[in-house]
Amino acid sequence: MICGCSVGAPSSTATNEPPASANLRAEGLLLSRCAVCHSTDLVTQQRLDRGRWEATIDKMAHWGAEVSKEEAVMLADYLSARYHPDVPDQEPAHEPEHAAEPLRVETPAAAGRPPGETAHGEVVYAHNCQACHGSGAIGGVGPKLSGNPILGDEDRFWETVLHGRGAMPAWEAALNAQEIADVRAWLGSLK
Amino acid sequence: MGRDGRDGFVSRRRFIELAAGGLACAAAGLSIFRDSGEAEAAEKLITKVSRPYDAETPVEAFASWITPNDRFFVRSHFGPPPSDRIDPASWRLSVKGLVARELSLSLSDLSRFEEVNVTAVVQCSGNGRAFYRPRAGGVQWRKGAVGNARWTGVQLRDVLAKAGVQAKAKHLHLLGADRPVLPSTPLFHRSIPLEKALHPDTILAYQMNGEPLPLLHGAPLRLIAPGWMADACVKWLTDLTLGETEAPGYYMQTAYRYPARPVQPGEQIKPADLRPVEAMIVKSLITSPHDGGTANGEIVVQGVAWTGEGRIVSVELSADEGRTWSKAKLTGDDVPYAWRTWEHAWRAPRPGSYGLLCRATDDRGHTQPERSPWNPSGFLWNGWDRITVDVTA
Repeated sequence: MICGCSVGAPSSTATNEPPASANLRAEGLLLSRCAVCHSTDLVTQQRLDRGRWEATIDKMAHWGAEVSKEEAVMLADYLSARYHPDVPDQEPAHEPEHAAEPLRVETPAAAGRPPGETAHGEVVYAHNCQACHGSGAIGGVGPKLSGNPILGDEDRFWETVLHGRGAMPAWEAALNAQEIADVRAWLGSLK
Repeated sequence: MGRDGRDGFVSRRRFIELAAGGLACAAAGLSIFRDSGEAEAAEKLITKVSRPYDAETPVEAFASWITPNDRFFVRSHFGPPPSDRIDPASWRLSVKGLVARELSLSLSDLSRFEEVNVTAVVQCSGNGRAFYRPRAGGVQWRKGAVGNARWTGVQLRDVLAKAGVQAKAKHLHLLGADRPVLPSTPLFHRSIPLEKALHPDTILAYQMNGEPLPLLHGAPLRLIAPGWMADACVKWLTDLTLGETEAPGYYMQTAYRYPARPVQPGEQIKPADLRPVEAMIVKSLITSPHDGGTANGEIVVQGVAWTGEGRIVSVELSADEGRTWSKAKLTGDDVPYAWRTWEHAWRAPRPGSYGLLCRATDDRGHTQPERSPWNPSGFLWNGWDRITVDVTA
């Protein structure tokens, strides 16, 4: 199968490339806000100018994507620098190893597993998880999490959230360890 | 991701690959949640979008006049519905709106209507979008968002007659059981004019190529509006509503519309100048030899050609960038709404790399243009098909 879809694939020679930290945040937004409804390969096959990227992000926000004004600008910067009309069609990726600088990804594993804060977990859940797992974690497109046995298996829970499982995307780039711990604490508090 | 990293370091490229891979795997992983057949389909189709799953057919599969179910292109806005919404035991088709009596029909109720068959091409309006310049937004379909299948079901007009269509009804609204992830996203709510709904060839299909309609293709029931683009052929059907006007909402009023007059790229087009995409237009593909393949001696170039509500009358081939054309031989049966196979024996004057082009003409006198007129959403591409072949001897 051809899945030629990497979030950061064909980098351009555009001059107004946003800084690396903003790129990382935009990539996180793609996974956490856009990929709720569709995989990012739909995004990376587009070749649009900035105006049309802005219109697209605006349409998605109207349809329910959780994107603030500041995040919408960040996404438009990122997408219009990478996926503009002058970028050639995506070939099944053979990006040379040296094409990108190594980047340190701060993994929550390195940051440990802090104690969770239930009240904040509810907020994090509402913004990131509810679309698929339902209000009150009663399930939706994704499984019911309230009372789910995975809550009793801490390793499996962290593994699933960080790296994804089945239809669920990986959240490592989008949520920090405290947020994941908070969500777990809130889920555990549900009766 | 971390499991592939060393000491908490992951190259940026690796990070990105893994992030995307997680999503690509999501398509296959969906079968964990619902047995949709996507994992199997992914091996026989070219994935365009991992989730919701969209995939096109490799052109070589069109060597078969009938496109097999597991190689038939897949397109939906939200993916298949959860199984409980289309469970054959509890599923019902509701017929309502401007009718004499509302109906709620089970699959066994539908089986009491006369069964009919139609072999018809179904094609996504955006098939070929990737060839437009400037680029149009949307799934970047190339050649394979099309297929030819035998559909079995009942005439829609028989079902509508049972409900009794009121005189003021002008449009049939169609809604399926598929739902967006977020409730704030518009539903895929479509409509067709009553004349098309009452056309004897328009059917409610429950079989595809002799098998129960597969989940990815709209189980248990979809509309087949022969000759029209696939956006009319709503899958996972649950609601038929007769109304005075077109269906409301984004997917009928904004999406799947085409300018009624020629437009320039980037031009602002008033909504009043846009019309719904309806019938297909004349188009053809070279299915053999394969694009980029090698050959020697005499080559039998083969392909398929189709149009909307008419017939194919000729297919021509050019090996000199369209300066001269030779008529191909139409083969196989001339079946209304199905595609027509054709072939043409060709010998290269000398070894080298050749571009082979084909174009078809239908009985309304329409011939494929070199490039289709630009339109904002990249619909109805029917430019000449083109492959390259290396002739070695």
